[in-house]
Amino acid sequence: MSDILLTTTVGSFGKPEYLQKARNAFSRGKLSRDELTELERRATKEWIGRQEEIGLDILVDGEMYRGDMVAYFADLIDGYREGGLVRSYGNRYYHKPIIASKVSRPKPMTVDWFRYTQTLTDRPVKGMLTGPYTMLDWSFNEAYRTRRDAALALAEVVRQEAEDLEKAGAKYIQIDEPAIHARPEEIGIAIEAMGIVTQDLKAKTISHICYGDFAAIYPQVLDLPVDQLDLAMSNYEYRWLDLFDKHPFTKELAIGIVDVHKHELETVDEAAEGIRKGLRYVTADRLYPHPDCGLKTRTVEETVDKCRVVVEAAKKVRAELKAKVPA
Amino acid sequence: MKTTVIGAFPKISDDQQGQELRRALHRFDRHEIDADALDEVYDATTRRAMAELEAAGIDVINDGQIRWDDLFAVFARAWGGVARGPLERFYDNNTYFRQPVISKPITTHGRTLASDFKLARAAAKAELKGAVCGPLSFATLTAEDKAYKSLEERTLAVADALAAEIRGLGAAGAKLVDVEDPAVVARPDLIGLARQAYERLASAGVPIALQAYFFPADGILAELATFPVQQLGVDLRSRETKALGALGTLTGKTVVIGAVDARNTRLETADEVARLVDGAVRALDAEHVWVAPTTGLEYLPHDVAARKLAVLVQGTRAAVGVAA
Repeated sequence: MSDILLTTTVGSFGKPEYLQKARNAFSRGKLSRDELTELERRATKEWIGRQEEIGLDILVDGEMYRGDMVAYFADLIDGYREGGLVRSYGNRYYHKPIIASKVSRPKPMTVDWFRYTQTLTDRPVKGMLTGPYTMLDWSFNEAYRTRRDAALALAEVVRQEAEDLEKAGAKYIQIDEPAIHARPEEIGIAIEAMGIVTQDLKAKTISHICYGDFAAIYPQVLDLPVDQLDLAMSNYEYRWLDLFDKHPFTKELAIGIVDVHKHELETVDEAAEGIRKGLRYVTADRLYPHPDCGLKTRTVEETVDKCRVVVEAAKKVRAELKAKVPA
Repeated sequence: MKTTVIGAFPKISDDQQGQELRRALHRFDRHEIDADALDEVYDATTRRAMAELEAAGIDVINDGQIRWDDLFAVFARAWGGVARGPLERFYDNNTYFRQPVISKPITTHGRTLASDFKLARAAAKAELKGAVCGPLSFATLTAEDKAYKSLEERTLAVADALAAEIRGLGAAGAKLVDVEDPAVVARPDLIGLARQAYERLASAGVPIALQAYFFPADGILAELATFPVQQLGVDLRSRETKALGALGTLTGKTVVIGAVDARNTRLETADEVARLVDGAVRALDAEHVWVAPTTGLEYLPHDVAARKLAVLVQGTRAAVGVAA
């Protein structure tokens, strides 16, 4: 593994057809929980193999066992109940969960998956969680008087899970907050809640942020108590980097260099140029190239191709940097 | 006093029978049905949504915007010079839209919505209104603009195109057109520009209702009172707001109060709705108060949307002393 420009991904990958069919069969009561879990483990193993073959440095489990990044946790947290179908975009719908009473964590939610995935590879696997502010913002809240009250209660749940991931050996823990810019005036709540989650963690902490007005929360977002911000950049033609001219970026940066909502494949040169843009603001040991966001909406083939472009682009720029260093 | 709705109604429900459109779109994507067959499903879903609004007792309905992928999609698809660009979240909702991309000056024949409106009119038993997106929302959420030199120029160009659409709706029989424009309250710093844009819309000669939601209107009520619109929608539930106590500022307009939260499943009681209506009537004549959800009910699951409509009607009838 190189020590600069470590490559990674944001979290989710596309589910293979056999798993999609199995999930449908499970929801119709035609498949047992154990049978589904076995197929989820198989798909996870396949994705670890693909990531290693592509040459990614920091791996993920691909979230083969999750449908949605909020609903998965909501199903396992006491106090939540499943809501009806709500449209997210086009013909895509999801069960938006409802915070119906005070929340608590009856048992760990992702730790077994982390342990299993880490046994499949010698490379580090990230622990993957959804942040408390996003859990709140993407749920209906019927239980708490204020949004802050709900976010802080959810932060306690996420903290327990993060600490269990650390005890299980996670060296990287990603706590995603894609909703953090939904209400810029509430950035203080998101920061306060994240502080509860990360206060005692020794692992490297990361937060992924995407698809919203990042400018509206910058530079305040630099107070989010995590080591690394993981940002969609390619989709925005890297315009968020301009913000760093006025207020220097002070964290590690995971930089999105391929667009996950396009079928078209970027060239290695285009992706490498994205890395070079990032290097204007962050040193190579603090810059982590990756696709803009989770890849669950792409096919397996598209995902592999996009990730390969990321890896090849990183290799190219590493070679350029090496060539610049005098022997 | 009338009850009404704003924006999109849920396109599907959780039960299998209520998912015809979802299935049809999947089949269309797989080339198993053609565009005509999909159109039939759209039409049937539209009629069902309208019938549901009528059955709930809503006085002034819309067509449920069943064909609208997002607030801008129908216009960005139909207008010359505009395309649908990158995906983005729509304000503070976990709902996405495609940002408009403007490559050339905008052109439109102004009949983008006319046939949909005529179809709805043929099916409607209740009073029917039309709807367009707001010029300030369209202009401020545009991802890229190669045609206009400034936000001001773009906003007014979009307003001209929307005025043509409003004129087209008027020709199709619309007596009232909602202009859904959350940017007016999201960007109070642009209130002067918004006013200029609404002067362009008013030139269409069709009564319009400015529906501004998601954000409090507290700081700009006095300016909104000067807008050349017949109705103003004021969201009284989404966030902390003191607008209820200041509705008197809007005397002369019909105020559409957002009285049930269309973005949270917590169900208001009929009493809560009635108290808001009572508060509004203390500031305005009863005939100048309409009662609505805060925004489109599509942010809610279908069953909750239906319950919100029921509470809205019950609360309003209780406030005006009509048996529910």
